[in-house]
Parts: sequence; C-alpha cells; structure tokens
Amino acid sequence: MKIYVNGKETIIDDNARNVLEALKEVGIEIPNLCYLSETSVYGACRMCLVEVEGNGIVTSCTLKPYEGMRIKTHTPEIYEMRRGILELLLASHNRDCTTCERNGQCKLQKYAEEFGIRNVRFEKLDKSNIFDSSSIIIRDNSKCILCGDCVRACEEIQSVAAIDFAHRGFEAQVVPAFEEGLANSECVYCGQCVAYCPTGALTFRSDVKELYNAMESGKTIIGMIAPAVRSAVQEELGLEGDMVIAGRLVNFLKMIGFSKVFDVSFAADLVAYEEAHEFKERIEKGERLPQFTSCCPGWVKFMEQFYPDFIDNLSTVKSPQQALGTLIKKYYAKEAGIDSEDICVVSFMPCTAKKFEAEREELAGQVDLVLTTKELAQMIKSSGINLKYMQPEPFDRPYGLSSQSGLSFGKTGGVLGSVINVLKEQIDISEISTEEEEKGIRVTKIKIEEGKELTGIAVFGLGKAREVLERIKSGKLEVDIVEVMACDYGCIGGGGQPYPNNSAKREERAKILRDTVGMDVLISPVENYHMRELYNKYLVKPLSEESHKVLHTSFRHRKRVSGEDIDILPLPLDEEEKVTVNVCLGTSCYSKGSYDILSDLIEMANREEWAENLEIKGTFCLENCGASPNVLVNGEIISEATTEKVRKVLEKYVSKEKA
Amino acid sequence: MGIERTFEKVEDILKKHNYDKNKLIAILLDIQKEYRHIPKDVVNYISVALGISPAKIFGVATFYAQFSLNPKGEYSIYVCDGTACHMEGSMALVKVIEEELNIKPGEVTKDLKFSLDKVGCLGACALAPAMVINGEVFGNLNEEKTREILKKLKERKADENV
Repeated sequence: MKIYVNGKETIIDDNARNVLEALKEVGIEIPNLCYLSETSVYGACRMCLVEVEGNGIVTSCTLKPYEGMRIKTHTPEIYEMRRGILELLLASHNRDCTTCERNGQCKLQKYAEEFGIRNVRFEKLDKSNIFDSSSIIIRDNSKCILCGDCVRACEEIQSVAAIDFAHRGFEAQVVPAFEEGLANSECVYCGQCVAYCPTGALTFRSDVKELYNAMESGKTIIGMIAPAVRSAVQEELGLEGDMVIAGRLVNFLKMIGFSKVFDVSFAADLVAYEEAHEFKERIEKGERLPQFTSCCPGWVKFMEQFYPDFIDNLSTVKSPQQALGTLIKKYYAKEAGIDSEDICVVSFMPCTAKKFEAEREELAGQVDLVLTTKELAQMIKSSGINLKYMQPEPFDRPYGLSSQSGLSFGKTGGVLGSVINVLKEQIDISEISTEEEEKGIRVTKIKIEEGKELTGIAVFGLGKAREVLERIKSGKLEVDIVEVMACDYGCIGGGGQPYPNNSAKREERAKILRDTVGMDVLISPVENYHMRELYNKYLVKPLSEESHKVLHTSFRHRKRVSGEDIDILPLPLDEEEKVTVNVCLGTSCYSKGSYDILSDLIEMANREEWAENLEIKGTFCLENCGASPNVLVNGEIISEATTEKVRKVLEKYVSKEKA
Repeated sequence: MGIERTFEKVEDILKKHNYDKNKLIAILLDIQKEYRHIPKDVVNYISVALGISPAKIFGVATFYAQFSLNPKGEYSIYVCDGTACHMEGSMALVKVIEEELNIKPGEVTKDLKFSLDKVGCLGACALAPAMVINGEVFGNLNEEKTREILKKLKERKADENV
C-alpha cells in the first residue's frame, strides 16, 4: 500500500494492524506509552498522535492505514502536544529516578529526555499511592501512568486478571480486588506485567544484596545458570550475538567468588529423562493423562489456582532449578565434604516466578537465592568487568554437561521435544511430525508401534493454556502430553529478562538459543553420561524410590479468594453446643452444585428440629477441588458431597452431642 | 444474632439476569439495592458464578458512584451541597446531622440505621437547602426542621422494635 508520510511516498504493509505498526516497519517509531502489539489497542496515552490530511490530529494506534493517505508525524503542533502530555504525566509522577529500579530503562524517562522536558509547568500532585511488596512482584503506584499495559497483559495474554483499574479520575489506580496485596490474589508471578510496564511502577524484588551478604558470611557459593539467560544477558552487555556467553559468565562468577558454577541444562536433561519415564508409565497404566509438564512455576500456580481438578495430571518431577538445588545440597555437599548448611545455592533465571518457586513450602531450602537475568547483568555492570575480555570456561562437573534437549528447555517446545527424545530409546517411534495450530499452540504427532499414535502439544502463554485446558475438559481435544510455558515464547520471554522484553526481542532470543542448541554435540538426554552416572551412583533408575525422594514434588490447591468464612446461619452458642457446617462456594464446588447443598442445609436447619443446632457457613475453597463439591462438618471434610451424604454425617454428630 | 445472610437473594438476582456476565452492572445495581452496598463476599460469589475476576468486579464497583462498598444506612441521607443549597446554608444542616447521629459524611451509624452523604446538585434548587432520604425530598430546611425529621425517623425505629 502506498501512503505519504511527511510528504514522502512510502510503501507500507497492506496488513499492518494500524498506522503506528506500519510506520515502525519503515523506520518511524512514533512515541507511545500505552501501545502493545501483543494486546488489544487502548489508545489512552495520546502520545502517538499524527496529523492526517482531512482528518486532523488522531492517535496512530487506532488508525487503520488506507491507500494514498497523507500523514505528518512530527509537526510543531504535535511536538507541543506530546510535550504537554509528558508534563501532565510528570506532574503526578514520582520522579525519584535515581533510586528507581527502571532508572535508565524507563520509557517515560526516555521521552522526558528526548523531548527536553526540564521544567513541569503544572503543580506537583501526589496521588494516594499504593505500594505493594507483599510478593516478589512489586507495585509502586506513585510511578504508575495508568497506561493499562499490565492490566491487558494479565487479562488478555495470561487470562489471570489479578489486577484491574479501580476507582475513577484522579483516584484511579491499578490494584487487585479490594486493594489486597498481590500475595493474596490469583497472581502467578509470571512477571509479564513487569515485562510490559513502561515505567518503574511494576518491578520485582531484587536479591543482589542478599547474594553479597551470603558471600560475606563466608558461605560456599554455588551458582547455576538457566538456558534462557544465555540468550538474553548479552542485550544488556553490548555483546549481541555472542554464542559463548555462558562460558564467560562461568568465568565471571568464579572470579567474583563463586566456588562452582553448574548448568541448569544438566538438570533439564535429568528432568526430561525422569519425566519421559513417568509419561511412559502413565500411558501403560492409562492413568493421569494427559500429562502436563511442571517445570514452569507460573503455570504450576495457574493450575493450582484455576484448574485444581487437573493437579494430578501434572508431572510430579521437580523443575530443573529445584532438582539441581536438591542434587547440590544432597549429593554434591557430601562429595565435596561441605555441610549443606554452609552452602548458598544461587540460580540465575530468566524468570520472576522462580523466586516464588524457590520459596514454596515443599521446596524451600533447596535453592537459596534466585537472581534474574537483569540482576545478573546489573552485577556484571557494577563490577566494571567487561565480559568481552573474559575467556569462556566450561561449567563445573559433575553437573555441567548437557545435551541439545536440556538446553532447549529455555524456549517453547523444549520440554516436550526432550521427553520425546528420551522416549525414542524406550519405544519404537516410526514418525514424528509437528504443526503449528496457531501462534502459541504446536501439535506433535508421534507414530508408535501397532499403528498407534501419541499426541503432544506445546503451549505458550497462559491464555492459550486456558483454551487448551477448556478443550480437553469439554472432550474436544484428545492429547497425551501437554507442555506449558507461562510466558510468550517460553522462558526466553520471562519476567526477569532485560528490557525491552517484547515479541520482537523474544524472537531474537529464540534464534540465539536455537543456534546455541545446534552447536551442542549431544542430542538426547540419554547421551548425557554424567546424568546416567548420577543414576548409577545414587538414583538407581528412573522412578525408583530414591528418584522419587530426590526428584519429585507435590502440588496443592490454592484458595482463589482470601478472606474469612461467611456466616450464613450463625448461632450464638458455645462451640461444644453446636455443629458447624462449612459449605465450599469456590469455583469447582460451585460448578458442581454446592449452592444447592447449601440451600438444602439451610432449609433443613430451619425446618427440622434435630438440626436446630447447625451453624452454617460458606467458604471460598477448602483446597480439595479434585473431589468437589466439599463440605466441612466440625472439621471433617466430606468430599463429592451430596445433601444426603452430609445429612448422614450431621446426624452422627448431632446424636453424639445429645449423648 | 448477626445479620442473617444467605446467597439466596444473590442467586435470585443472578437468575433474573440469566447469569450473563454482560449484565454485570445491572446485577450490581440489584445487589446494591438489596444489601445497600456491595458486600465483599458477594463480589467473590458473583465472580465465581459469572466467571469474571474479582479485580474486574471491584473495578466496576469502585468506578460508579451508584455503588458503595460500605453499607449505606437503612435511611440513607443525601444532603445537597450544590451552589444554591450551599448558599442557603446546607453545611449547617450537615453539622446538625453530624451532631445528632454522630457520623460524618460518607459514614454510617453503628446500627446501620443512618448513613450520611454530601452530594452535588439534587435538582431541587427552588427548595434549597434540601436533602433526600430514601428517595423522598425534604426542602426549605433549617436546623430545627432537620432535627425534627431525624427525631421522627429515630422514633420509627423505636416503634419497629416494640
């Protein structure tokens, strides 16, 4: 399509989503603060104004290009308008730039500099500001410009919708429901809100200082580096395209005091090996299928939060991070003659949710600190050491070797591909074909013996994962194994990766990682002899008792809504005089008819004499969603409850009381 | 005994609107009418029933002035503080009500009997100063009249308990 931009004939893509995108392709990046090509168009910031002949000044993000249109992108009037917008935003913006996490990487700061804003004409107004550091995702609303990028990323890309706009006008804020902390919300800590926030309103907890504290305390510091880190840390260091960055990172970490640096990809090989055997066993027994991968902590929390009925389908194998942490503390410590209490295991991850994973109750203590790619880059830059001059060094043994499979865990499809690579050793596979159904969903067909076929699906983005789950639930999709990575493009798009962290950057990282994978001489985890050695020495074989103890974990249902029980028929009696019935009204139980049970019980209590001492309460989630609906009678849980079932238990309690 | 609360009324409201998430505002209006506010557990309940995240419902409930997250009184008093009423001494009325009920604008009495709000123009400027209690307009007020109205309402409460 031919249009005229600033008087110059310009050919743009006919299918461009809007003028803003079309011009970006031809080298004009129109300033904007609220536009994301990954979500719906919002049009709120008004920075992307352009002048269209015959149409005046309009936002380019909402403007469809048409043949022959004449636009001006940079007139004195537009320039003045953009300056005005910036000044208005800055008037109520917390301008403590030097102590801000986004210092030097903030879009608002960048525009303020480019537009030469040196003086804000408007009176400084302080909003009633919420600062939420209840979780590893930190929200500082004094820096929020209400662009809504986080709201749309959370709802549209991830289908989590933990946050939204609340209140109106100057009071407007982005918050979880009831202004709770994120820790009490459905947030899965994927950090996509952080990835897309243009300012310092959303950041994550930095643990760099903790690392230096651990070093100072004299602990033995053992590091591990995830595959996706080595596809992105270059961006921060001016080393784009450096394929041996991992080796340089090893050298750097050793130089500043790490005693060993292992490769998370080694553990990825191990996890894939174990998980493939788990999958084979489930196929043979025909149970807990489809199997879902569980190495992505954002996805795991999403399941626990929204699809508890499927929890048993998650692979029980730990994530590579937690598996390696366990190996270090359990085996390596002994071999090296160090008390595991004196070891500080530090993992470098592309991911914010990994910080949460390391702190999960059942996993705590295996990995002591999780630092993101951004924190790693910050450490490197503050040291003044130029990595370009660092000789690459190999990862330390015995957890330093990895195959192509383990390395490819960093991007979408990596886990599924690795599991299939291991399966090749176990069963006869005649043909494997993969097809992209749509962006974010890839289907792999695996032909096995007797004309049978297995189906695997690799999904990225939790919104897409939800679609797939709904299709499985409704019986529209038959699949045997599903890999999910919470972030678009997989771990390379994690919330802890450098800015900008958009689709274009993620595609570049995917390419770097693909190339890195391609250079590895080992293809399948089965070829990783150091991993096999681990089985010979300690784990015996996949799914052995020892493997289960060391490599497997458990999951739990999570309350979606925090808060206390709701009194429905309260009784002003002493505890021992009444029987308390708690009916679950959480999503699972509600959809399976818990409300009907509640109505029956109320009627029973109101009508039938024997039931007059029933105190009835409602609750949101008893965290037993797999067996919903659930009712709790004096602390005893009744699963798959019916009114009759509850009545029987109640009668038992009431008669006990009378006696 | 506490306030008796079931989700029966909520279910009725949801049924009336066909459990249609597009009718969220209509549903919230009915809930506001029923409970005189939008209770937290009801937000959670309709979030589950409609499949909308609680954050979104909270956003809607805090955006529109028609909704309140805190209970309004059985008698909700809106004192007009538009230009005409203000000039005619509406602030003196507010002061009288504050003294009588021991609450400030935006608050509700402990027994949930009365709530007080200051609002912009009620459109009854000819009757300034004016206030609206449960939809009924009281105009040409002064401190004395206001005290009397409150007294009557309080007595009505006493009657109810007999």
